[in-house]
Amino acid sequence: MKRVLLLALLVVLALSVAIPAFAQDESLEIYITDMNEATMTWYNEVAIPAFQETHPGVTVEMLTGGWGDFDASVAGWITTGEGPDIVYLGSEYAATFCNLLTDVSPFLTEEDTAPFLPAALETVTCDGAPRGLPLLMSARPIYYRADLAAEGADFVPPTTFEEALAFVAANSAVENGALTKMGFMDIGSSLFDSQEFIAYIWSAGGELYNEDGTSAFDSDATAQALQYMYDRRRTILPTEDTAGLPPIEGAAIASGSVISGIWAMWQLPPVSDPIWDNITIAPYPAGPDGEQVVQVFVDWLSVPSYVENPELAMDFLKFITSQENAVTLSQVAGYTPVRPDAWETLQADPVWSRILDVAAEYGRGFSDIRASAELRPLIVEQATLFLTDQQSLEQTQQNLKEEYDLILEENGYLD
Amino acid sequence: MRILQNRYVTILWLALAAIGSILAANAIANLVVTTTSPVVTAERYRAIIWSVGTIAFIILGSVCVGHIGEAIAGWAKLSRAEQRKVFWGVTFAAPWIIGFVIFVLGPALASLYYSLTDYKLGETPNFIGLENYRILLSGEGAHGRRFGQSMYNSFYYALVGVPLQLITALAMAMLVNQALRGMKLFRLIFYIPVILAGGAAILLAWRYMLASNGGFINVTLQALARSFFATDFLYKGFIFGVEGFNGFYSGLARGDQVGPLIYTLPALIGAVLLFLSARGDWENSKRDRAWLVAEVIGMVLIFMLFVRALITTPVDWGMVLLAGSLAIAGILLNGQRGKRGSLRAWQAFTLIGLLGVLLVILLGDTTLSWEQRLPYIIGAAIIGVPVLFSMIGPWSRAKVYALAGGLVIAVAVLFIRDFGAEFGQRTIVPVVKYVFLGTALEPSADLTWLLESFPQSLASALWLWGAVALLLGGLAIANNRWPRAQRWVAIIGAVVFALIAVGSFLDGVRYFQAIDAASQAAGSPTYHFTLFRNATAAWPGENRVPLWLSSELWSKPSLILITMWSSGAMMLIFLAALKGVSQALYEAAKVDGANRTQRFFKITLPMISPALFYNLVIAIIAALQTFDTIYILQTVDTVDSLQSAVFFLYTRTFRQLAIGQGSGVSWILAGVIVLITVIQFRYSKWVHYEV
Repeated sequence: MKRVLLLALLVVLALSVAIPAFAQDESLEIYITDMNEATMTWYNEVAIPAFQETHPGVTVEMLTGGWGDFDASVAGWITTGEGPDIVYLGSEYAATFCNLLTDVSPFLTEEDTAPFLPAALETVTCDGAPRGLPLLMSARPIYYRADLAAEGADFVPPTTFEEALAFVAANSAVENGALTKMGFMDIGSSLFDSQEFIAYIWSAGGELYNEDGTSAFDSDATAQALQYMYDRRRTILPTEDTAGLPPIEGAAIASGSVISGIWAMWQLPPVSDPIWDNITIAPYPAGPDGEQVVQVFVDWLSVPSYVENPELAMDFLKFITSQENAVTLSQVAGYTPVRPDAWETLQADPVWSRILDVAAEYGRGFSDIRASAELRPLIVEQATLFLTDQQSLEQTQQNLKEEYDLILEENGYLD
Repeated sequence: MRILQNRYVTILWLALAAIGSILAANAIANLVVTTTSPVVTAERYRAIIWSVGTIAFIILGSVCVGHIGEAIAGWAKLSRAEQRKVFWGVTFAAPWIIGFVIFVLGPALASLYYSLTDYKLGETPNFIGLENYRILLSGEGAHGRRFGQSMYNSFYYALVGVPLQLITALAMAMLVNQALRGMKLFRLIFYIPVILAGGAAILLAWRYMLASNGGFINVTLQALARSFFATDFLYKGFIFGVEGFNGFYSGLARGDQVGPLIYTLPALIGAVLLFLSARGDWENSKRDRAWLVAEVIGMVLIFMLFVRALITTPVDWGMVLLAGSLAIAGILLNGQRGKRGSLRAWQAFTLIGLLGVLLVILLGDTTLSWEQRLPYIIGAAIIGVPVLFSMIGPWSRAKVYALAGGLVIAVAVLFIRDFGAEFGQRTIVPVVKYVFLGTALEPSADLTWLLESFPQSLASALWLWGAVALLLGGLAIANNRWPRAQRWVAIIGAVVFALIAVGSFLDGVRYFQAIDAASQAAGSPTYHFTLFRNATAAWPGENRVPLWLSSELWSKPSLILITMWSSGAMMLIFLAALKGVSQALYEAAKVDGANRTQRFFKITLPMISPALFYNLVIAIIAALQTFDTIYILQTVDTVDSLQSAVFFLYTRTFRQLAIGQGSGVSWILAGVIVLITVIQFRYSKWVHYEV
């Protein structure tokens, strides 16, 4: 009796382990961060049925979540080797998750990749191999309220660091120890953003890395970028104890107290708003030896290395990033397509047309940022010390260089 | 019925009942929710199969654990009936035991292992010994420095935030303890923030309220300040005080040297405690206080020295002797006082420390030659042999001699080795000058020697802390056996420490001025006390406002303000304790002429001390684990000044995927929390429990 009972329990246990393995038939789970209801509905009611029709026996499920718990979720999926077959990633993640993603080049032909912007493809590439396909892009130029600018009708967007400082000085005001007018606002509503710092290094004519792969934070371009950001901060806030602007409801550019800034599209008024008639769109100012740029972020869909059927996942990626679906997603979800052949509809809108023109002329993808998760806090720490007068420029550059080199070495980027 | 007596049949019945419940629940779910989706159906079947499998596993596991218990009972020669009882007891406890092993103990051990590796998610872990701990505790590189700063921030929340939280909660509890109409409503109002405080929406509302320009709090403060000159003075004083304190703390947290000021705090504490010991008659309370302070300082010192010995590269064998000398002193004092429990704890603590050092030296650092390793082994032997000897048999005179011998040898070796240029010139010479007010009388322009004495200096105040501990420990041991001599020792000690405190403070100020001048002369500073200098350079001007969440100087106070607002849970515990205080005590005190303040300090506080102790322990643990408020409130400007150790752990583990180092952080944090909690419990004599 004892043996029979034990045997029965063992059989149940074995079945419980084995059956789920058999039960995992052809199914696809797709995780898209920050998906709104309209997009979710389109996926569930239009895109997925269409895909399933061409792939009989395959079931597709959409999952969504916020950026807040994104890192912990991805870590959990990778640790357990169980998670979505397709994961939505931001621009800088290719380098961070490189080893954890599938090299999808065996499933891509030249015909598949040709329609995409080269910079977008570069974003999804790591160690020379693509890890997925780009889904959307977000160009972040500088938006100016030309109607509020102190220069009046003579307003021309600044093209150099020097001109930009003059613009910020003319358009910022402090009364009774508090800011009343802000010449420039950063994407984080602060006076400094690590991504923007990298953009200024580029627009000062510099790069993040030397040819041997070491950090180039000791370059003149880095010094110019830091000095420009410091001078701009001091122009807006004469002293560190000056209070900032009061909280702004809605889009900062529509508040009347912010004259220029960098924002994502979702932080700006809808393109149908008449305020856009007064907004000038321009690239970032450049240093003496550099050229103007606009930072372009590319969000993309990746295939983690734990996925058992990457071919099926890639089928879905090709399907969802097709010209037809890219056009539809731009209308449903407000995505900016990463393939120019889907721009026709967008270009009919004058605002989008201007953004795309600036992106096409000055755009530089925010990609190949090595060990980005460790670089960002380092930049924030060191640049903040410099901007708040606690550390000299030379010391800041030295710390950035030494510590980023160490991080690159730890992460296997240097021999 | 006989079949029911078979233990396996009983277990089978239980299993079938559990499985049947799941199937029944699924059948009901099928009736209520109808779906044709193949994904949902597949998921449901998968869930059922997993549930059944889990139950089977728990039952099998429980039976196995039960049998192990039974076997142990048999091995312990218990009767057959008692073995059966053990089987059933352990079997029914086993689901929890299995859960604990799988979900708590297993992951904890795994994280301990990972903390000794360079594990990054997606890569193979390589064993690197104590390297992660060394980087974190020595503040090496960007990660070590950021960890150090996050620990400083966590201690700030504990040392500044917790007392303020306790005072707020107690004040609220005393307010709502009044017999007035509608008091229940007030209690509810005070408690509501506990429910709301962690919510993102409320924290975002706080963001608006704390806006430096136009925020509710600043508008209110400014209105109050403008209403009367005294409130304006208080308002500006508040800004001056908060910015000055936080500016100084910020410089400390970033690892800048404070020069001679390192001596001021231990000297001041030593002077005050020795003065209090010398004043009035010697009482048991004085002995206990002296012993308590000596033991806490001693334990923390030894802990720090052993940690230093483990993480410094190259490790300094002098650390082993120094930590060991103090440990022997602790063992001797406890042995002489007949404190058996404390004695065992000190002995174990010392041996674990020595073992750790030897492991690092022999196995951890393979680059060391045997000539380099030898001093550590000799040092460990000088300390370890008498300590081991002291553990055998009852406390005796022979043990005292052995330990004293070890102590004398260790101190002599240290004296010969270190009382040269290094220790003598850097430490003894300035301190002797302080005692004779030598430096205070020097012209302030002559700062060359001062700057040279503390260039990112090796000067340490640990020895001064040690001197305070030894003097107080000595007084406690002597316990008024030689009253005159004891009083003179305390008086002379108090005067010497007071002179050191004054001298080092004056030199510290001049040191700051010198660094400042050098920094200004260089054009742009590399000096993190700049914030302190700017904050204290002038009295706040007319339009100054607190910059709350937009400035490094105000970010931590902002967070503490929010925790104070949400201290309703503490308030409830205080309220319950206040209600338990007998009115007869207050009436008796009134009859004896005690005023309100006396009644509060002599009756209320002692009577609610268990609640105070509970709140203190819980609040300190919570403060060291602060995370969610920081996660929501941090901005680019304040992320470094706000981030706690747990936030750093999260960043390192989940954002940067450095599982190895993240695990190291969690173990260090666990160690710190355990150490603080043990110290709190060990020295909780002030808590008055009614029998």
